[in-house]
Amino acid sequence: MPLRLSLICLLMLLAVPARADTVLKLFVSGQVSQPVIRKALDRFEAGNPGLRVQIEVGGATSDVQAQYLNTVLSASDSTLDAFLLDIIRPAQFATAKWLVPLNSSIGDPGKFMQQYLPEYAKADTVKGDVVALPAFADAMFLYYRKDLLDKYHMKPPTTWDELASEAKTILAGEHDPSLQGVNFQGKAIEGAVCTFLLPYWSMGQSLEQGGHLTFDQPAAIKALAMWADLVKQGVAPKNVAEIATDDTRKDFQAGKAIFAVLWSYGWADFQGADSAVRGKVAVAVLPSVSGGKPASCLGGWQWGASAFSKHRDEAVKLVKFLSTPAISKLLAVDASLLPVFPTLYEDPEVLKADPWFAQALPVVQTARSRPAVPIYNQVSEIIRSTVNAVLAGTKTPESGATEMGARLRRVLR
Amino acid sequence: MSVSVAGARSSLRRHRTWLDPRPAVLAAVLLAPASLLLALIVIYPVGRLVWTSFLQLNLTSGVPAQFAGIGNYVSVVQDPVFWQTLKNTAIIAVVTVPGALVVGMTLALVANLPFRRRWPVRLALLVPWALPLAFTGLIFAWFFNSQYGVVDDLLRRAGLPQPIWFNSVVLAMAAICITTIWKTSSFVALILFAGLQAIPPELYEAADVDGAGRIRQFVFITLPMLRPAIVVAMIFRTITALQTFDIPFTMTRGGPGDATRTLAMYVYQNTVDFLDLGYGSTLAVIMFLISMMVSVVYLRQIRTQA
Amino acid sequence: MIPRGVIQRGAPLRSIAAFLVLVNGLFPAIWILLTSLKTESELTRTPITYLPVAATLTNYVHAFHDQPLLRYLANSLIVASASTALTLLVSVMAAYALARLEISFRDLALAAIIAVSTFPLVTLLVPLFQTLRALGLLNTYVALVLPYTVLSLPICTLVLVSFFESIPVDLENAAMVDGSTRVGALVRVLLPLSAPGLATAGILAFVNSWDEFLLALSFNSNPAYRTLPVGITLYQGEFAFPWPEISAALVVGIVPVTALIILFQQRILAGLTAGGIKG
Repeated sequence: MPLRLSLICLLMLLAVPARADTVLKLFVSGQVSQPVIRKALDRFEAGNPGLRVQIEVGGATSDVQAQYLNTVLSASDSTLDAFLLDIIRPAQFATAKWLVPLNSSIGDPGKFMQQYLPEYAKADTVKGDVVALPAFADAMFLYYRKDLLDKYHMKPPTTWDELASEAKTILAGEHDPSLQGVNFQGKAIEGAVCTFLLPYWSMGQSLEQGGHLTFDQPAAIKALAMWADLVKQGVAPKNVAEIATDDTRKDFQAGKAIFAVLWSYGWADFQGADSAVRGKVAVAVLPSVSGGKPASCLGGWQWGASAFSKHRDEAVKLVKFLSTPAISKLLAVDASLLPVFPTLYEDPEVLKADPWFAQALPVVQTARSRPAVPIYNQVSEIIRSTVNAVLAGTKTPESGATEMGARLRRVLR
Repeated sequence: MSVSVAGARSSLRRHRTWLDPRPAVLAAVLLAPASLLLALIVIYPVGRLVWTSFLQLNLTSGVPAQFAGIGNYVSVVQDPVFWQTLKNTAIIAVVTVPGALVVGMTLALVANLPFRRRWPVRLALLVPWALPLAFTGLIFAWFFNSQYGVVDDLLRRAGLPQPIWFNSVVLAMAAICITTIWKTSSFVALILFAGLQAIPPELYEAADVDGAGRIRQFVFITLPMLRPAIVVAMIFRTITALQTFDIPFTMTRGGPGDATRTLAMYVYQNTVDFLDLGYGSTLAVIMFLISMMVSVVYLRQIRTQA
Repeated sequence: MIPRGVIQRGAPLRSIAAFLVLVNGLFPAIWILLTSLKTESELTRTPITYLPVAATLTNYVHAFHDQPLLRYLANSLIVASASTALTLLVSVMAAYALARLEISFRDLALAAIIAVSTFPLVTLLVPLFQTLRALGLLNTYVALVLPYTVLSLPICTLVLVSFFESIPVDLENAAMVDGSTRVGALVRVLLPLSAPGLATAGILAFVNSWDEFLLALSFNSNPAYRTLPVGITLYQGEFAFPWPEISAALVVGIVPVTALIILFQQRILAGLTAGGIKG
């Protein structure tokens, strides 16, 4: 400690005569509005004279950002100092040695990570190293048309079977050919991975443990068959294989679906001026498979410091600052992003800005994170292309699950 | 011809200045900028690429690079997804290269008609191009969308069955090919259009005098005169067809299943997405070899014609 | 839909052909134009609407407000024009050498130039990034102008070679007998005669640069140098895909570039042919 202290003193001595401020570059995602991030950074700069932070954007979606970051970081580029990462990235980035391990900067890592929602603590710890800190939370919700369920005296479904039968009753009663029972993502995008995992997890299965594959074929068949049956029964739209995340939002917002499986961002749009379902929407915990437990898919973003940064210490400082309750609260109040600290879901100011967060906590708590493995992108590709093929009807659930298992075994042992 | 030209020139015996150097020197000077640019932008990256293809290098493995010899090449040959993507790419090339040639030829012939005002037709030729490629696939995916698509709506109005394009292996591929032909026929049209303009009108006038019909003129004058332009368009259309990426990537993401995943998408996936640089580079080198073989066949074609 | 005067009298077949070409070429652009005037909720109506129910310009207001759209447009125009000019210069030089000078390695050089374009761009991304960084060129116009020039060089050179070869060499020889230098003959005789080929090569180069996304995303992340295709994707959110606003931005991009290409084509054709006759 004394050594470190003297080092810090030395650094400070060196820093004082320095004329130019140190400028950190922070790479952010398209899900956070830049003015809000700027507000957080202004606070950081106020508390850290001599440090300035610039926002960098490289693509709006998680995919395009990964495309950009993977190019820049494969070339060991030092331009970026810290970044906001989708929850599926830390394991890959850490294994590629692109992230600064944070264990030495956060005291007792186990204790430090306890303040967050537990699934984030898990996803951000790779082989015992904390490699990123949670920024904001997200999860898949079951949005439903409260007005329609009330009209037919129904409660939000707790199982997928219940959802199907409720949907059928309402569809039969409404006589609206453009009304869908349930809308979810079947296009071969990241959302389709969650589509598969929701029922699969609900059966108590997991895909991976400690980096080893724990694929359960019967459960996988059941999960794929459940979705395929919903399409066959006319509860889910026939074209679900072409539905991407925002298509679900648009259909539900246009009043075309009774139920929708979607991330948290939909809420604000559903309550917006351009919405046909304003005031008619509620969220619930996602249904479970009969006899199973409810499970949601965890989303959300993490702050990480770049291993190539020329200002690693400052970058780590920034990451730690951005992952505090104060900033999480700012993101919740100003940008309606779900907090990563469970306590904030009871915070009066947060609830005043976003009353529906009270309903969101149980969903976030049942959410599980997708496998935190370095080769996650391969795993994701295998799952999403299979889900897409089964929903398009070009593969049966059985052949899809068999193929999925075989391909997963090739990349994950 | 060329011999007599050289003879004529040397007999001139003019004083050589820096503006009039020896042909060999001039050739070197003229080719220098192109060579320099290629060396800077291509040679080094390609050299690295070929070297990487012999390495076992996956950034997500946490293992440093190891020399793998032809290991990656062996894996590629045994990889069923490689063969599937190769097949898909071949289908796209076989359908869209002639497709774009036929459509492009039609467009060029129409654009070359003596309209009083030519710019509207030329505009129509160019607009597909000005639409950024990154959005073309998205716009056409919307057109083919079974809920909100124009195609679906027009079929409905015509009383025809409205298939769900992206639920079918064949129709998804068809949608991609239609989009690709739409986007690339402008390129072909433009090259052929330039070729058409270079055909001396006297040839047609002579044919008119001889009483040759339009179709005979097309077959015996236009096509032979266009031959070099057609070959140029075909070479580059084929190479770009083998590199098809953006349109399937945005329209189907390779779905349903792997039915529309192309070789370039697979290269991209391995390199940028999976960070398996060794394997991705190997796929790229193989892709390069395939397109090289195709262009050599075309070049032979030019030479035998010359 | 066809402007007056396009079609000569008494040519019904011609007008049908022209109509089909116009529909084929313009429909997607018109669709985008119509979409840019709609609200998002109109897009989820079934059956779909063609003309906007309640046309609005708010998408354009948002498009200009949310992103520095004109900056992106200017960047794209600068990069595309510069790389077009450079491509034309370099490929005219190379094409002349290959078409007119008796070089022993002509076929090899042609093959090498074509070979360049057979490498998938994606795989050159990282090494190219490193090269440009080593040269200190990232986040400059040059970072895109150089690769784009290389991108268009093969096709432009080949187009020009085949064009030059289709023009009888006697004309240049005659000029040289009259005392012109080789370079003089190239500039005053060959280039004017190759006007359509030059226009084609120029448009090819321009559009190649205009269209490119991957390199632009990776090399110029600074908004001051960001090009239009990359800029337009930023109207998306992580999930949200606002078609009306994106359409407005696309329209803002398409209109000037097509106008520019048409002008360029007519100018270069008119200018060079006129010069050719005088010379």
